Amino acid sequence: MTMKSLLTSASIALLIAGASASAQAQIAVGHLADYSGGTSDVGTPYGQGVVDTYAWINKNGGIGGKQVNLDSNDYGYQVPRAIALYKKWSGADKVAAIMGWGTADTEALTGFLAQDKIPDISGSYSAALTDPTGAGGKAKPAPYNFFYGPSYSDALRAELTWAAEDWKSKGKSGKPKYVHMGANHPYPNAPKAAGEALAAELGFEVLPPLVFALAPGDYSAQCLSLKSAGANYAYLGNTAASNISVMKACKAAGVDVQFMSNVWGMDENAAKAAGDAADGVIFPLRTAVSWGGNAPGMKTVQEISKISDPSGKIYRPVHYIAAVCTSLYMKEALDWAAKNGGATGENVAKGFYQKKDWVPAGMEGVCNPSTWTDKDHRPTTKVDLYRSKVTGATDGDLNDLMAKGTIKLEKVKTVELPRKPEWHGW
Amino acid sequence: MASPSLIPSGDFRTSYAVDTTIFPTTTSRNFAILGIILTCFAPLVFSEYWLAILIQIGIFGIAALGLNILVGFTGQISIGHAAFFLLGAFTSAYISNKTPIPVFFAIPLAGLVTAMVGLIFGLPAARLKGLYLVIATLAAQYILLDFFSRAEWFSGGSVPAMANPFSIFGYVLRGDRQYFYVVLAYVVVSYLLVTNLMRSRDGRALVAVRDHYLSAEIMGINLTKYRTLSFGLAAFFAGIAGALYAHYQLVVSNEGFGIERSILFLAMVIIGGTGSIMGTLMGTAFVVLLPESMEWISAELKGSAIDRALQLNNNLTFLREIAIGLIIIAFLVFEPDGLAHRWRQIKTYWKLYPFSH
Repeated sequence: MTMKSLLTSASIALLIAGASASAQAQIAVGHLADYSGGTSDVGTPYGQGVVDTYAWINKNGGIGGKQVNLDSNDYGYQVPRAIALYKKWSGADKVAAIMGWGTADTEALTGFLAQDKIPDISGSYSAALTDPTGAGGKAKPAPYNFFYGPSYSDALRAELTWAAEDWKSKGKSGKPKYVHMGANHPYPNAPKAAGEALAAELGFEVLPPLVFALAPGDYSAQCLSLKSAGANYAYLGNTAASNISVMKACKAAGVDVQFMSNVWGMDENAAKAAGDAADGVIFPLRTAVSWGGNAPGMKTVQEISKISDPSGKIYRPVHYIAAVCTSLYMKEALDWAAKNGGATGENVAKGFYQKKDWVPAGMEGVCNPSTWTDKDHRPTTKVDLYRSKVTGATDGDLNDLMAKGTIKLEKVKTVELPRKPEWHGW
Repeated sequence: MASPSLIPSGDFRTSYAVDTTIFPTTTSRNFAILGIILTCFAPLVFSEYWLAILIQIGIFGIAALGLNILVGFTGQISIGHAAFFLLGAFTSAYISNKTPIPVFFAIPLAGLVTAMVGLIFGLPAARLKGLYLVIATLAAQYILLDFFSRAEWFSGGSVPAMANPFSIFGYVLRGDRQYFYVVLAYVVVSYLLVTNLMRSRDGRALVAVRDHYLSAEIMGINLTKYRTLSFGLAAFFAGIAGALYAHYQLVVSNEGFGIERSILFLAMVIIGGTGSIMGTLMGTAFVVLLPESMEWISAELKGSAIDRALQLNNNLTFLREIAIGLIIIAFLVFEPDGLAHRWRQIKTYWKLYPFSH
């Protein structure tokens, strides 16, 4: 084949591929992913989960016979880039919905989403996104913001409830000391006030917060502060990679403190990377089971995973499964909208209000039942707390480590928080 | 080297008016006016994507113009320009949110406030030169960014601040198509102002400081005054650009304006041509379009045979950043005098075509 004919056939192939992709695309969905920014450690499996799920949806007939055109973009966890993408999605090529990500960008978009009527199911579980009417008075109205799982604040409230019991059950006397740790960034800051208020109420002594960056680094100084302050319970508000740095440094400094992490602050990959430093960390799990867990819905998750991993050998961390659940909630809301007047943003938002204790079809036993109403966007206030258990060296394949039980996620407690009106929106 | 200060033989100027004119010929003036008029039709023709890029070029072009006064005309250096840009953005958002002053006036006010702060951070320039000055301006970058992340009353702390849309006497401009004209107006005014400045007494003093500070001092130029002044001017344009950016995005966040953005501003000036006013705009266009064109290429590559063969996948993003770095290095090696110089060469070539020698 000559160079010229090679080029010609290549360009024809490109043209055909381009034309067929644009001809089928009918429902546009925007996707903000972080593959390269401050939260890329957990953003990568979550983003992959979203991409795989929509590819799987398209393979299985799409939404109401229409294919979904998922406009996936790595925005590097930067608000300006998210805003620029949003302008595109709210302008000429308007999307029916957005699969969002970070707290800073989601909170910045809240007002625009309401104005343009575009629902956004985010990776941010900031409690400020849960009050659609603003009636609670704690947060601005966020009628088009959704997320799947307990809010950051509720998860921390559950962890503190557990911590108070843990302190008593260990028979320790005096006031336990609680400290909030995280970057000075909207995401780690989101549950800070709620956590410190409840801690004080439960009889903790609240220490001044400690700041550490979203990126991995040397946080020995923070650990020495923990030690000298005599903290007993520390909340890690950042994502896994950064939290690991703290856990490792504290292990090395010999700090005896019980870490409790944010929902994005721990996963199987992190436990493998941190080794025995991750042993004993308490964290909330959004799904009823983790990868390979015994549930009817796990088959669907494995099928979706095969989209990007045909061999089926990759171990998918908890964030991947959460992404599958999140995407399927959005899919069913889009389904409802397509049947009831078309997949416009307004209809999709209404689609979220149609079911009580809702589990997407095929995900039984994986996604936790969730309920959204037009007054309350807290999908659940039930928090499953798990402890990571690491026994032994963690080199080797994650599948083996999990199978052998070197790394285990152990259920500690399920906390059913009351839906207090004074806890709504923060 | 065809530097503008070297007058070719046969080019006689017999009066000061001719010597200081902005446009050497009537045709060049008419072309400039025609260009602006044609740009006015851009919102009617271009898609929103291209409009957004033009607006970005305009906004960053004003900031880069400020930096060019400092770097290109006065021979100083600053790697804290992004912090002043952000200060302008936060100030304008703050003024329009907390006071009854409309956005129309908040933008120039933000420029003035930023200029004041710029004068303060410019003080070390009176005593420091070269690498030491670089470090001093680096301090400005970090001090201001830290201030933004802590001063909740001013910037909202870690939470992004909201800015009002641009409004004149109750009429609110919405969307890129309307905002484009605001940016265009500011670009035209800023570039005219600086062109004018450079042919004035003060402008010539700045150039004298750059070319030989000792001779300039001997001729009676107050070095401290002009060095500090150039910092103030640079900060003023950064502040104006920042304010325009704030009311364009409607959200101001301190992300993405770290040292790497300051370096990008420097890249705009260097690529465009230090000491060239029109070059600044070309350099800005280059720096803004470069990541976009990389985006097109990576979008084309995505899922293609090359992508699969090399298993690029998510690494395409990183590849893009690497390519941007490489192109900038290649530019500095092969085009050290900037785009403005290349443009002049192209013009000369066609003027003399086909008898260039």
